[in-house]
Amino acid sequence: MGESGPDNILELIGVTMDYGQVKALNDVSMTVRRGEWLSIMGPSGSGKTTMMNIVGCLDRPTSGRVILDGEEISRLGGRALTTIRRDKIGLIFQQFHLAPYLTAVENVMLAQYYHSLPDEEEAMAALSRVGLSERAGHLPSQLSGGEQQRVCIARALINHPMLILADEPTGNLDEANEHMVLDIFRQLHSGGSAIIVVTHAHDVGARAERVVMLEHGRIAGIVEGRGIHGHRHDDAHA
Amino acid sequence: MGLRAGKRRIWLKMLSASLLRRRSRVIAALAAITIGATVLSGMLSVYWDIPRQLEREFRSYGANLVLVPSGEVGVMGLRAMRRAASLLPADRVIGVTPYRYETLSINRQPFTAAGTYLDEARRTNPYWRLEGEWPASDEEMLMGADAAGHIGAAPGTRVRVSGRGRNNRPFAGEMTISGLVRSGGPEDAMLFMEMSMLESLTGTRGEANLVDISVAGSEGELRKMADASRESVTSVTPRLLRRVVGSETAVLAKLRYLVFLVTVVALALIFICVATGMLTSVMERSREIGLKKALGADNAAIMGEFLGEGAVLGIAGGLLGSFAGYFFAQLIGISVFGRSAAFEPLTIPAAVAVSVLTTALAALPPVRRAADIEPAVVLRGE
Repeated sequence: MGESGPDNILELIGVTMDYGQVKALNDVSMTVRRGEWLSIMGPSGSGKTTMMNIVGCLDRPTSGRVILDGEEISRLGGRALTTIRRDKIGLIFQQFHLAPYLTAVENVMLAQYYHSLPDEEEAMAALSRVGLSERAGHLPSQLSGGEQQRVCIARALINHPMLILADEPTGNLDEANEHMVLDIFRQLHSGGSAIIVVTHAHDVGARAERVVMLEHGRIAGIVEGRGIHGHRHDDAHA
Repeated sequence: MGLRAGKRRIWLKMLSASLLRRRSRVIAALAAITIGATVLSGMLSVYWDIPRQLEREFRSYGANLVLVPSGEVGVMGLRAMRRAASLLPADRVIGVTPYRYETLSINRQPFTAAGTYLDEARRTNPYWRLEGEWPASDEEMLMGADAAGHIGAAPGTRVRVSGRGRNNRPFAGEMTISGLVRSGGPEDAMLFMEMSMLESLTGTRGEANLVDISVAGSEGELRKMADASRESVTSVTPRLLRRVVGSETAVLAKLRYLVFLVTVVALALIFICVATGMLTSVMERSREIGLKKALGADNAAIMGEFLGEGAVLGIAGGLLGSFAGYFFAQLIGISVFGRSAAFEPLTIPAAVAVSVLTTALAALPPVRRAADIEPAVVLRGE
């Protein structure tokens, strides 16, 4: 597994998350390098969502350390976590979560609204980047699932986050739209963005540089390089 | 488009969308605020107008201020009386009625006769019930109903009055009883005639034993008026009729308290309706709130959005309620006091400000709840 240092955008060190008697994450340690595309895979209940919440500054671990961009965030308060989430992380959701009463461009501007000041030109550029400039004035209900997900991606990119977190980004898409979304991820990755994708789908997970396999809250294996051909349990606590 | 304009656009769109999407709930909340503001505005108008309305109303029950001669002398000059009365605010004086008392005999029965200005007496004592007519000439007089009973007189009866006037000089004359007075007080045993007639019979001139004054004003205002008269005209002593003035003050205080209670109930109505509506809204929109927080909205931003909605509802309901409250106040004025309520422009900003404040206070608990929503619910897809 990666080593601690300035090359890492994210480090998890002995992270444990308890929900009462249940350990959603159990002594998990891993790193994500700057510009790396990482997938997190595992069955339901394996701790994927818990890890997403912790990495996405939506939750705090029971114990262990989380270091994002060199800053220890595991003990920060709600306001500080909100600031980090707003400034450093772009979130992409399986269910898109677009505001139904805002147009595509306004949905993108919504992220700017909470970050700083909405800039329509910049929002249009972000939509253009995901191939949706023609649909900027449409409401989510007038967009297909794939288009909605691309709006969601544009919204995640608009504040230039250093880490993009995508939770089952293709879970609600057909094959054509899945390829389109993954192609955007590939472009973002080529541009130097660090991406963490949580997915059930092997073909989606396989696009990453590394795949972290979670089971019962522990890292069951990490596959380096593209493609999943087997687990390497010896990497779990590298 | 400017960046600030962009921020305003998104804010306005979120606000209008939030209000329009939950139309039925918003209408219910707006209706509650409007009704509350209507009652509030109407009650404020009544509250401000009650003294004006009731002071005139109270004045139908007679004098509330009297002038009596200073010192041991039993009479005061009418000129001094006029000077003292001229110090009272003319627009608030209902009537100034001097009385000169003499003892007269009718059919050898002694009666107290009051010489007065009958037109003034009519204004000062609107509660007198009259059988017959007010005197149309100096040779007509009013007689108390009890006194008339003693001598078997009725309206139209002609009687011979006699007595001893100035320097014990005897006098006598014929007069007609034009009407019988019933007041439930000492007036029922008295005679009332024009001052000039009494003066010509008794030979007195320009003197009075007592002056009844009916003037609109609170106890404090009356006290100031009395003090001003006392200082300027030393030959007369003004006295408040404490029984009357005290009762009026007590009734006013109770009415104002009643109005205050009704207003509090109206505000409680606003509070409950807004708090319930807002709480439902927060629960319905927990995912949206979670999304906004996931996108970086801090608690202040979330609370600001909900309070903004509350403020819009408070302002709209307050304005509508002020408008409706004007008519509500007129309805109360006409149906309760028999005259329209005066419009007090301050009721508009007051009703709007109180509506906004109450709405904001009512929104606070649900808004705090909104701020407590964890953004993780969005990722979990709950």
